[in-house]
Order: sequence, then C-alpha cells, then structure tokens
Amino acid sequence: MSTDPMAEIKASFFVECDELLESLQDALTDMDEGNYDSETINVVFRAVHSIKGGAGAFGLDALVAFAHRYETVMDEVRSGRLEIDHDSLKLFFHTADFLADQVSAARDGLPEPDGSEACLQELEALMGDALPAPVEEDVSDFQPMGLSLDLGITDAEFGDFGLPSLDDGASENDAAWSLTFTPSDALYASGNDPAHLLRTLRELGDVTVRCDLTALPEFDALDTPQSYLSWHATLPGELDESDIREVFDFVEDVCTLELTRETQTTPEADDNLSLADLAPQVEAPPNSVAPTDIVPTEPPESEPNNTAPADNPAAAPAPVTPPLKGAPQANATAEPGATVRVDLERIDRLVNLVGELVINQAMLAQSVAEAGLPQNSKVMTGLEAFMMLTRDIQDSVMMIRAQPVKPLFQRMGRIVREASAAVAKEVRLRTEGEATEVDKTVIERLADPLTHMIRNAVDHGLETPDIREAAGKPREGVITLSAQHRSGRVVIEITDDGAGINRKKVLEKAISKGLVPPEANLSDGEIDNLLFLPGFSTADQISALSGRGVGMDVVRSSIQALGGRIAITSEPGKGTRFSISLPLTLAVLDGMVINVAGETLVVPLSAIIETATLTSDDIRSLGPQTNVIHVRGDFVPLYDLGAELGYRAPKSSYEGGIVLLTAQDDGERSALVVDAIMEQRQVVIKGLQQSYGHIPGVAAATILGDGQIALILDPADLVQNASGRTRGFDIALAG
Amino acid sequence: MSALVLPAKLDLSTVADLGATISARKGGDLELDAGGVTLLGGLGLQVLAAAAAQWRQSGHSFCITPRSESFNAALDHLGVSLNDLQSTEAA
Repeated sequence: MSTDPMAEIKASFFVECDELLESLQDALTDMDEGNYDSETINVVFRAVHSIKGGAGAFGLDALVAFAHRYETVMDEVRSGRLEIDHDSLKLFFHTADFLADQVSAARDGLPEPDGSEACLQELEALMGDALPAPVEEDVSDFQPMGLSLDLGITDAEFGDFGLPSLDDGASENDAAWSLTFTPSDALYASGNDPAHLLRTLRELGDVTVRCDLTALPEFDALDTPQSYLSWHATLPGELDESDIREVFDFVEDVCTLELTRETQTTPEADDNLSLADLAPQVEAPPNSVAPTDIVPTEPPESEPNNTAPADNPAAAPAPVTPPLKGAPQANATAEPGATVRVDLERIDRLVNLVGELVINQAMLAQSVAEAGLPQNSKVMTGLEAFMMLTRDIQDSVMMIRAQPVKPLFQRMGRIVREASAAVAKEVRLRTEGEATEVDKTVIERLADPLTHMIRNAVDHGLETPDIREAAGKPREGVITLSAQHRSGRVVIEITDDGAGINRKKVLEKAISKGLVPPEANLSDGEIDNLLFLPGFSTADQISALSGRGVGMDVVRSSIQALGGRIAITSEPGKGTRFSISLPLTLAVLDGMVINVAGETLVVPLSAIIETATLTSDDIRSLGPQTNVIHVRGDFVPLYDLGAELGYRAPKSSYEGGIVLLTAQDDGERSALVVDAIMEQRQVVIKGLQQSYGHIPGVAAATILGDGQIALILDPADLVQNASGRTRGFDIALAG
Repeated sequence: MSALVLPAKLDLSTVADLGATISARKGGDLELDAGGVTLLGGLGLQVLAAAAAQWRQSGHSFCITPRSESFNAALDHLGVSLNDLQSTEAA
C-alpha cells in the first residue's frame, strides 16, 4: 500500500483523544460541582486509561507514562482510598490540562511539556503513604517470568511463582483469574497490538502470560495481516474484575476475551508450562478453562468453561463473569451514536460546491423570470421545488459544519484555572449553552479573542478575594460563559461578578492619553467602549497576565472579521458583561436585496426588524443635519444609506422613502433609507477581508443571480461608523 | 550466511514484507538480526514463529541474534520463549 495505514489510525487516535479529554473535563467539572458518584469518577479514570491504552499502541511512551501515573492516582480515588477535596480537584484539573498538552506534544512530535513531572509529583503527593508502588515494583520483579526457560528458571520455580496464594485456603473470591484473549484481524488493523495490552496486563500484578501458537498455519500458508494467536493469562485472584477488563476496553469490539475464576487450582499443573512445548500443549493449560476457549472464531457466549468445573462441585460455582461485551455497564454511557469522521477539507469543498449551487440556482431563477413564463408553468413549479431542495441541501451541509461550542468552552476552563493561579484569585467558570452549535470556522477563530477576554475578566474584572470579602461578596469570583442562538445569530457572553468598569478611571486615562478631549461629556456606554480603542489601558502596572484593555481592540477586530459585533455592559460593584454576536455560519445568509443610488446591496435579514414607507408625519428633524423617525412611540435615528456609503449626497426630503428598521445587539434601533427593496434571497458569502481588509459597514460580498457582485452590508457597523453629522462626537469612539 | 536485519517495528506495517523476505531465504540456514527491533507485535511474532517451525521442519538453522532489549522484553510480554522462534538446532 502506498499510504501508511498506521498514520491514519494514529490520526484517528488523536481525534479520539480529543473526545476523551472532553469527557475527562466534563467529569471533573461534575466532580467540582460536588458530584462524586462512582460513575463520574470512573469516567475520569476511563478517559485517562483509554488515552494510555491508545498511546501504548503507538509507542507514545511519554504519554503512556504520564497517563499511567495520572491513572494510578485516579484509581486511588476510585477505590475510595483517596478522598477528594477542593485542592485535589484543582490538581486533577491541572493534571488533565497537562495530559492535553502531552497529547498535543505526542501528536505534533514536540518534546514533553515543561512542568509535567512537577505536576505529577504534586499529584502523587496526594496519595502520601497510600501510593500503591509495591504492586508496581512486584511487576518489574516479576517480568522475567514469561521467559523462564531462557533465563534458567525451572518449571517448578515457574509453578511456585505463578500461583503464590492459592494454597492458602483461598476463598472463592480469591481464586485466581484465568483469562483467554484472542485478538481478531481488526484489532491489528485498528493499530492495536497484543504486545501493548499484555504489557499493561502485567502491570496489574503477578501475571503469567502464555502464548497459544496452535492455530498458527504453516509458514507458506500464513496470511500475514491475519490473526492466528491467542493468549492465556493467570492473574491474582485479589484483582478486581473491572481492572482486568479495563486493560482491554479499548479493543473490546475487536477481540474475544474470556475471564473466569479458576475453580480448583493445583499448582502442580504448572509443571505443564514447559514453554518449549507450548504449541502442542494448549489443551492442558494450568487452569480449568476448556480447550474450546482458544478457538479464535468462537463467540464468547458459547464458551462452556463455566460449566466445566473441576472435581469439586461445591467449590465450583465461583462467580463466573460474562464476556467483556456484557460487562461494565459504564461503557454504555460513553457510547456515542454512529458517526463517521470526515476530513474537514472535504466538507469545505462540499460547502463551496453548495455555495456554487445556490448561485447557479439563483441565475437559473433569474433566467426563468426573464423568459416571462407563467407562474403555474411546469418550469416555474419545478424551479420552486429545486429551490426548496437547494435550501434543504444547504441547511444539511451547514449542519455538518456546525459544532457545539463545548470544546471551546472547556479550553476556557483551563484559561481560567491558569489565569486565576497566576494572579492568586479564586475563580469559578460557569458555562451555559455548551451544546449551542456554530460553524466550525467561527469556533476556531473565536478561541483567541475569547481567551483574551477571559484573561482580562480574571485579571481585571474580578477583585481579589480580600476585596470581594470586604464588599460582602463570596471570595470566589464567578465568570459565566454562555452561548445561545438569538435571531439567527449566536450570542456568546462573558460575564463576571466583579467590580464593574471603573468609568472614572477609564475616562481619566483616556483624557490623559489624548484619546478624548478633556471637556468630553460621555455616556456610560461610551466610556465603556473606550476600552476598545487601540492601545487603551488603565493598568497602572502590567500584571502577570495583561494590562487592562490591552488587545481589546484586537479582540474587536477579530470579532468583526467573523462578521460579529461585541458590546459591553457594566454595572459598578456587580460586574461586567461582554456580549459577542456572531453569524452562525460564514458561508451563506438570508439577505434582503436592496437598491441604493443604482447600486445593488444585500442587508442580512437577521438584522432587519421591519420595513416601512416614510410619511411626512414620521420624520422629525433633530439638529441641522439629523433626522429621526417616529416609530410606535419611539424615535429612531435615520441614516441615508446612499449618503453614508458615499454614493450620493443626502436627500433634501425623505418623504415617501423606504426604510429598513434594524436592531443592534444592544437593542438600539436604526432606520436605513434605501431606494428600493428588490427581493429576499439566500446569498453565498464571499469574504472581502483577505483582499481588502475591513471595510466599514461592509461585511462581505456575494454574487447575484445575474452574475452581478453585490456588497453585503453590516448595518450595526455601518451605523457605528456613520458620519458624525447624526451622532456627533461619540460616534468616533463608540463601537 | 549473512544475517537478515529485521526492521525496527515488526507490526502490521512491516509483516507482509517481512514474510516475503524470509520466504525468499527458504532452503538454507537463516540468521535474523533483531538488534534494532523496537517493537515486536503479535503479527511479527506470528511470522517469526511460523518461519521457525518451517525451518525446523526442513532441518535448517533459524536463529535470532543479536536481539535488542525491546525484543527480549516483548517476548516476555507476549509469553513466548525464544525457543519458539528458533529452530531446534539453534536453540
């Protein structure tokens, strides 16, 4: 084969790692909220364990080692030997963060992240004397066993070693475990290997492993990727069944696993374990497992081993466990629906093609319209059906790209932990609406600005614990990160319960920097918006994280580049809220096609509340060059699109003019005068940012049905950047 | 007799070639150099064990030397003896 199958499998493993890390974070968050039930703890354990198992299959030793030590501690938690408290949970989170770094390092071939060892040592210190090191030591001592003959260990010694405790009148529950493991072809094909699994099995304690070569065909008949071998292992009876099964839970679907208690043990039977005779000796394993167990293709359910007791019927009914698939109920909880992983590039290509389809459909519709066919003609009805189909295809394709914001929010959890540790504040991150789905591209490009804002919230938004306490607040500050769909857009809010923006200080700083004239009389909202001015900072000194407001202009630019807007609201003593409104997708939008001064433009439908024709009663003058319109008891500022975009001078009269009433995220409304409304249609967004940068008031462009290019307007940005004639000084600052 | 140097990884990615290479040396003694082996997987083990049996049957020598630590450790983990992977003559 020309492609490397292992590389593909490995890539798939790292995708799975991301999912496992996500469940790990979920479970830790649950625990942080006081949910210490065994299933939650098991999820943590399993996630770490599965990462370790997968990493072992690819020889990612550093990752295996890290996960193993983390897993060991979590095993202590699981067994109830280690109690969970606030501090230990913080460490679990911290270690999970490092585990994520380890995964990234393994994926990108980078060196181990700094601080990993320190983190693990801190974690292991939790266990104190409870560290289960002796078991580990025993394992290493025991390792030569598998090669007993080569190492000169006699069969008799082997027997003594293999089953040390069973002569001591062991109870049924202490009877040694007998395990038969038969990998299928698929196990190998999925990048796993018995070598790694058996090595992990050895780590459980005194384990003897024996390879069964009987099914091996002659060399000439060997089909190399096919699985012929199986393994028998004997494990100490005191081990938990779940611990043994967990070694294989990564491969449960691609192997046959038999796990039974030995019913009667005769240490002498081990004399049969002359390894040189292994191949012909399969029918005499050192336990009661029936010979049929080793037939690789035999389904586990048909195994008769539990009905084949030895010569002591009374002792025989030792607990016999079902095969792997029927076992841990917990496995079911992590089972996702049927999914298929698709290269993002393929989806992007599909999205582009659908975009072209929409354009072509629009062109076709235009041609049909120009042909003057009657509405009830077959062509027209067929075209309508085609348009609906196109819309359905488009929606479906967009849904493929849509992803929940949860992974992004989880990353922010880490930012909060790190940032709060850096400035010695106690901060809790609450997330809401994690399942809200947004276009993957939007999510990816949101990470940086969101990180910055979260850091700012920790560093500047929240007070120190002492100050909070003095103000009658809990010492622990809360940052809430929420996402929700609103009017065809997604709104992400970052809210802190801190002291709110110190507007006096902000204004003073702005004046001292010459950003605002000393005599300026700004509203609260306008002062808050000063934070978005380039280079603005109120920080008296730069902290470990950032200076106040540093980069908020960059944050705003990033949001704008996504076709989004950002707004601040703040209440002294209660906190600050940043609200980001984003389009759900960067590929298409429903737009209203309008005409202004002979130019065809598109206004996103989501921004328009209503349209109206102006009468002389509606229009009121406000100042020499400013008009407002009267809409149901409110006055709404009037903007002439033609004038604002520079197509023509303002009209002398707007009577009879058509206006689009638009709403911004903060609820502020504006009326945009247009010359004509052409139609409503779905348009494919063609970005202008890369070629032209940010054009005030313009979000993107599109290709219309007649092949004409039309600009897609961003009404909120347009209003915020509108000429000073209507809004005066503050317009230059706001937004 | 020149030693056949085994690839570092004896797993799915290499066993087909390994089987073909060993097969081409049938009819004579064969010495395998496992000094650079870092991973002996189940599929690699199959090839070696089947080849050893074949060589044993034909009365030729089939031995693995030198062997890396990883190789020896893998034999241990996989629960096989070196004797299973060498002809009687070489054991």
